[in-house]
Amino acid sequence: MSNTPRMPDRDEIDTLLDDLAKQSVPDPSDDLVARVLADAEAYLPPPGAVTATVPWWRQIVPGIGGWGAVGGLLAATVAGFVIGLGALDPVGADALWSFGYVAYYDADLGLDAFGWALEGG
Amino acid sequence: MTMPLDAPPDEDDAALLARYARGDAAAARALTLRLVPRVHAQAYRLLGEATEAEDVAQEAMLRLWRIAPEWRSGDAQVSTWLYRVVANLCTDRLRKRRRASVALDDVAEPADPAQGVEARLQDDARHTALRRAIAALPERQRLALTMRHFDGASNSEIAAALGVSVEAAESLTARAKRALALALRGRVGALGYEG
Repeated sequence: MSNTPRMPDRDEIDTLLDDLAKQSVPDPSDDLVARVLADAEAYLPPPGAVTATVPWWRQIVPGIGGWGAVGGLLAATVAGFVIGLGALDPVGADALWSFGYVAYYDADLGLDAFGWALEGG
Repeated sequence: MTMPLDAPPDEDDAALLARYARGDAAAARALTLRLVPRVHAQAYRLLGEATEAEDVAQEAMLRLWRIAPEWRSGDAQVSTWLYRVVANLCTDRLRKRRRASVALDDVAEPADPAQGVEARLQDDARHTALRRAIAALPERQRLALTMRHFDGASNSEIAAALGVSVEAAESLTARAKRALALALRGRVGALGYEG
């Protein structure tokens, strides 16, 4: 006989759980059903009672494609706002554009002043 | 007992609950006939005692009636909500029972009783030990384990009910089994499940 406490292995645990799951379950008694129905009657709201409604913003979310779509819309809104600020503040936003887009365009596509001159004929 | 069919089978629980919340008594009957057997079976498996299982089933359904006017369709499935309520009510009862009863470790093994009596005592002891160990699990592990083994739910069904990924559902079940093995360590022979 071993003195070391042995831990049941995974198969033994599965067997135990299956054994418990297979235990026969009696049908709910008529008395239980009657008690539940009595409770339901006691708490039955009056006909036509107002029920909770889903808030308008939660009804809209699934309609526009879920929370991912909401995130995309928010990102687009923020981007549009920043661009709009740029129109009001040419020094700030245009400076950003010049560091990003224009610099990339010039460097990678090779369109320097000479190229533009050629393009313009 | 033959029960009248009060609702079309394709009318889901949330729709019936909404009808109940608008004062439709027939919806209550339909929900009772549909949900009470499930709720009662879940409670009985977890508690192993008929009277307590019926009390839990009644209490869970009472909570459903009370919450009906505030129920928002889309928040959760009625069946999942009830499953959690029943699991928690059973856990509370098992924990109270444990405090009030003798520890399993202190129970002496039967001396030399008739085979049938001994086997039954061992079955009872094994089921009691397992139920207590299940009750001691963290809630999500307990739900994942019982949904898997007692209700035959797939990992994807468990994942959907608990709002986790399939991998997380598998992990919850595996961790629950590991915790059960730890809780039952050293009782392999005494509980009669040594292979």
